[in-house]
Amino acid sequence: MVHALREVHRVMAPNGILVDLRPLDDRWPVEVSSARESREVGRLLDYDFALSSDRAANHAVEQIAAERRFEREREEYFPFLYYWDTPNEMQEYIADEWEDFNGLDDPTLQSARSAWAIGGADSRVRIRMKMLITRWKKMA
Amino acid sequence: MVQKDPEGNETKRLHTFVDFTGRRVLEIGCGDGRLTWQYARKALSVTAIDLEAQDLRLATIDRPSDLAGTTRFVRADSIHLPFVKEKFDLAVLAWSL
Repeated sequence: MVHALREVHRVMAPNGILVDLRPLDDRWPVEVSSARESREVGRLLDYDFALSSDRAANHAVEQIAAERRFEREREEYFPFLYYWDTPNEMQEYIADEWEDFNGLDDPTLQSARSAWAIGGADSRVRIRMKMLITRWKKMA
Repeated sequence: MVQKDPEGNETKRLHTFVDFTGRRVLEIGCGDGRLTWQYARKALSVTAIDLEAQDLRLATIDRPSDLAGTTRFVRADSIHLPFVKEKFDLAVLAWSL
């Protein structure tokens, strides 16, 4: 990752801006949501690979900052929501797309199914992902 | 079927953080172009890279005709960027670090 950031530094013009936009694993909340209300029914599991990837990315940006290639100008967290019509669709997606990163335990899945089943016709399930956005300025 | 960020939090935040107007943009990890389309019309040019050929194909197919002259998709690895130095004003690491 540090090598990639050094490459980005190379191809950027003087005073160029780098935006780092990425999810941070943080036991993301699983919620059942409708127009009327939203409520948390559990949280995803973070697997070691996800946590070590976040650590490696954080280390890489601190390394390039220490090398004085980029200077951090601004940073914020914000939510990024994934929605599914049913708990089963959510379960399938997580198993297919996030299998190395996150898991859904049985109690959370059961809670999602129960809350979704008694919810309104417009009830959906969602995951509230934690996102990090950082703006860096290229230094000399 | 999954729906991602219908509230548009990501796009709003991105445009709050940086003005794309007139910039030469490098996007790293563009995937199928989901994020690219949120700013490409403002940029002077966009070079969007990814390693996944299938995603790049989808992005190219989805590219609006008015962006064909300014937005290109390239299969490349961020460790060896196939570009000369100081070519871009703005780089976006799109879920790729």
